[in-house]
Amino acid sequence: MSERILNPDLGFVKDVINAGGESLKKCYQCATCSVVCNVSPDDSPFPRKEMVQAQWGLKEDLFRNPDIWLCHQCSDCTAYCPRGAKPGEVLNAVRKVSIAEFSAPKFLADIVNKPAALIPLLAAPLVILLVWSHLLNMGSAAAAVYGSSFIASGQFKFIDPLFGAAAVFAVVMLARGVSKYWNAMSAGLPVAGPKMELGQAIGETIRDILGHERFKKCEVTKARSTAHMLVLYSFIGLLVTTLLALTKMIPEYFALNWSTAFVEGLVSAYKIIGAVSGVILIIGILLVMSNRAKNAPKAGMGSYYDWLFISLVAGLGITGLFTELLRLANTPIAYGMYVAHLMLVFFLFAYAPYSKMAHMFYRATAMVFARMTGRM
Amino acid sequence: MAEQSILVIGGGISGLTAALEAAEAGHDVTIVEKNPYLGGRVAQLNKYFPKLCPPVCGLEINYRRIKENAKVSFHTMSRVEAVSARGGSFEVTISKAPRYINDRCVGCDACAQACPAYRPDDFNFGMGRTKAAYLPFDQAYPMQYVIDSASCTKDCGQKCKEACKYGAVDLDMKPGTFKMDASAIVVATGWNPYDISKVDILGMGRVKNVITNMMMERLAAPNGPTGGKILRPSDGKEPKKVAFVQCAGSRDENNLPYCSYICCMASLKQTTYLKEQYPDAEIDIFYIDMRTPGRYEKFYWKVRDMEGVSFTKGKVARVEGADGDDVTVTLEDVLNGKRVKRTFDMVVLAAGMEAATNQAPVPLDIKYTAEGMIVPSSLKPGIYAVGSAKSPVDVARSVQDATGAALKSIQSALLTAGGVK
Repeated sequence: MSERILNPDLGFVKDVINAGGESLKKCYQCATCSVVCNVSPDDSPFPRKEMVQAQWGLKEDLFRNPDIWLCHQCSDCTAYCPRGAKPGEVLNAVRKVSIAEFSAPKFLADIVNKPAALIPLLAAPLVILLVWSHLLNMGSAAAAVYGSSFIASGQFKFIDPLFGAAAVFAVVMLARGVSKYWNAMSAGLPVAGPKMELGQAIGETIRDILGHERFKKCEVTKARSTAHMLVLYSFIGLLVTTLLALTKMIPEYFALNWSTAFVEGLVSAYKIIGAVSGVILIIGILLVMSNRAKNAPKAGMGSYYDWLFISLVAGLGITGLFTELLRLANTPIAYGMYVAHLMLVFFLFAYAPYSKMAHMFYRATAMVFARMTGRM
Repeated sequence: MAEQSILVIGGGISGLTAALEAAEAGHDVTIVEKNPYLGGRVAQLNKYFPKLCPPVCGLEINYRRIKENAKVSFHTMSRVEAVSARGGSFEVTISKAPRYINDRCVGCDACAQACPAYRPDDFNFGMGRTKAAYLPFDQAYPMQYVIDSASCTKDCGQKCKEACKYGAVDLDMKPGTFKMDASAIVVATGWNPYDISKVDILGMGRVKNVITNMMMERLAAPNGPTGGKILRPSDGKEPKKVAFVQCAGSRDENNLPYCSYICCMASLKQTTYLKEQYPDAEIDIFYIDMRTPGRYEKFYWKVRDMEGVSFTKGKVARVEGADGDDVTVTLEDVLNGKRVKRTFDMVVLAAGMEAATNQAPVPLDIKYTAEGMIVPSSLKPGIYAVGSAKSPVDVARSVQDATGAALKSIQSALLTAGGVK
């Protein structure tokens, strides 16, 4: 066995502890977790080794393999852990730190996960819009927020460029983070002579995610995979809705036909998909919350990082549904509700590279890498 | 003033030692024991570690010391029901369950032979059964049979009675209570093996040929269910591949949060039982840490260097049945970072010690730790706890502790009696 000098990064240990891994130091390496985990491979199983790596501050070791993302936080390990070290929850904290590690600019990652920054971050798109419309002297900002004039007056058109820019920013930053993660993993375990071709690995990963094949193997918190699946499918439904809507909106943009908000009957396909997805989203996220509460005696309630994401998704669904209902009731409150909805949409997507929203991209990347290197 | 004596609750190795040390220093002592015999857990052991001598030989000496000492009296099948402090002494109420056999019994076995009913053999942890009229084990003290009234129904009692030509069977015995004055109380309530079926992943009661370390003691003991030949329970096959699962329930917040102190040594000792009977046996010990405190380390070295004995760091966290009544265990071999499955003829769970007061508390104002151990500092003057009632300990430490408690209770008795004369 070759000698190796370990370089403990104590700051990293503190980061993990602060990110919800308070129980980290309780682990005494009995390896019960690695045995009860149904999604861990036989060779170098997790999460026992991750626990010692995190305890010793071996950041590089944790970030150069896909294992932290192959864990679905079933909490089977947490249930059987003889020390209350909560390996599943520690790995969740490690994942949070890794998202921050691979994201840029760093200050955004810090801010997004600070409770104190919640209100300013939520308000940011609104402020931008108001300043923008004011600069262009397009009418009273206050009236724009509170009254129906906001949408009816045509200021609505500014939203799309702003959201479009935010989306581009998020995609670029996520792509950058994910590719940094890929490079880190490749440096640890070269993909040269892959066990599986990239295309096939991506295909299998997508199939796995759509079917929640691995997530379903959880025992103690079996119900979580169903809840998560509902949320995932509702997001896919909402994505389809958005794309369909875009196909209708874009021609209107090019026609410079801004003042007429495009209006269609209630029974158009994309509205039905949107409404159904919204309801599924709310059901799914409520189940996520109740599962978390049920599992709390063992696993704890989770950190700000978890609840920020869960609350945003729940808020997104609820404000979306209410906007639609209030609009049908033809009350001006609908516009206020819509503004709230848009603020949440902006939060979830613009800050995605720094919040738990990023988990889907990092996890999918790790799953592809794991397949190519024979880890899965 | 009524005659006072030192009350010892529990007639295991701690209680016997405390009682005899105090009695031999000239004080009256009363032992209250819930079992029909004295000797406690030690009576169930095949050998002591590290000397590997049979405990019955040490117990026999203690039994003789009791027989020869008029200062010691004992009550088997009895429990302390109530204690009230009175000045410096205690008024104690004791209940006694009927044995249905009086002291005319000579231990001839005629009643058992005539007895038509059976009961599970609790002395052998349910491995086998005894007649409803039985002697707990062949060297039991007192050497007096017992009738288990719950199992001995209908005409069973009558048949036993007719078989006894000494008039020792007394079916009219009734449960009773009596009072005594105690000058001091020694709590020597001891321990029970932890109910390891509570750890579902370890397979106890679910998977054949998964046994506890205490069952292993009985299997290896000459007066055990197999006459001392270690055979696996399901089919009587000679176990040639045996695994020991350490920390079965111990050092586990969900079960016993503490280290039970004796299980590592017990498994090492039991490895020698197996190697003695089956020199070609392959023994695997799966551990988190091998804990062999003090000079016991030497015993560890001895067993470690035996051929066919291997140690693997990693907690067994899955136990499943395999073909042919074999048992498969899964663990992570921590030092090699591999999850492995291994199949054995028999698996021994090194189950820990649980304080007996968890199941049967004593009626004293005592504070217990979260794990159910007595907190010595919470004891009122004149009350002392010894041995495994306070923490998991081995026999040697129990005996040392009990000797100390004997001195303390003597001092307390002298104070009660009006100071040292």
